[in-house]
Amino acid sequence: MKQLPAEYYQLLEQLQAVDFVLVELNLYLDTHNGDEEAIKQFNYYVSERKKLRKAYESQFGPLMHFGHSYSGTPWDWDDAPWPWQV
Amino acid sequence: MFTPNKTYYPYISPFDPCKPIKVKTYSTPPNLYMGFQPPNLPQFSPMEALRAGTLWKPFYDPYFSPYEKVKGGQS
Repeated sequence: MKQLPAEYYQLLEQLQAVDFVLVELNLYLDTHNGDEEAIKQFNYYVSERKKLRKAYESQFGPLMHFGHSYSGTPWDWDDAPWPWQV
Repeated sequence: MFTPNKTYYPYISPFDPCKPIKVKTYSTPPNLYMGFQPPNLPQFSPMEALRAGTLWKPFYDPYFSPYEKVKGGQS
């Protein structure tokens, strides 16, 4: 079966780490609306995530379906590996 | 000296079949002692934060049972 390059896992891990930071900052900002420093950091990581997603999807196909990611041809959002198979 | 580990002394019945445990310890999370989170706390890098389970260093609270003598450090 096709083996995935190491970069696949690195990109996924970075995406996971940035997602975690975004969740933490989001929860923090819910109670600290005026904290500009955190808002600046949050927006920085939002743009960071966009870059990571673009890098991942250009190489390995869509991350999500129903319009949240572009599709390759043929239709490939349901290709292996699924998250639990990675 | 401040420590997050607290102790309590369970009641020991004269009819206990086993050797009594006189003192039991439990660890308390750091957020109990912080109240409303102050801004600009020191942070982990994203990769470390993913493993530590929190973005801010003061909230990092790895649990080590009393039998594991290792305390603190990046687990």
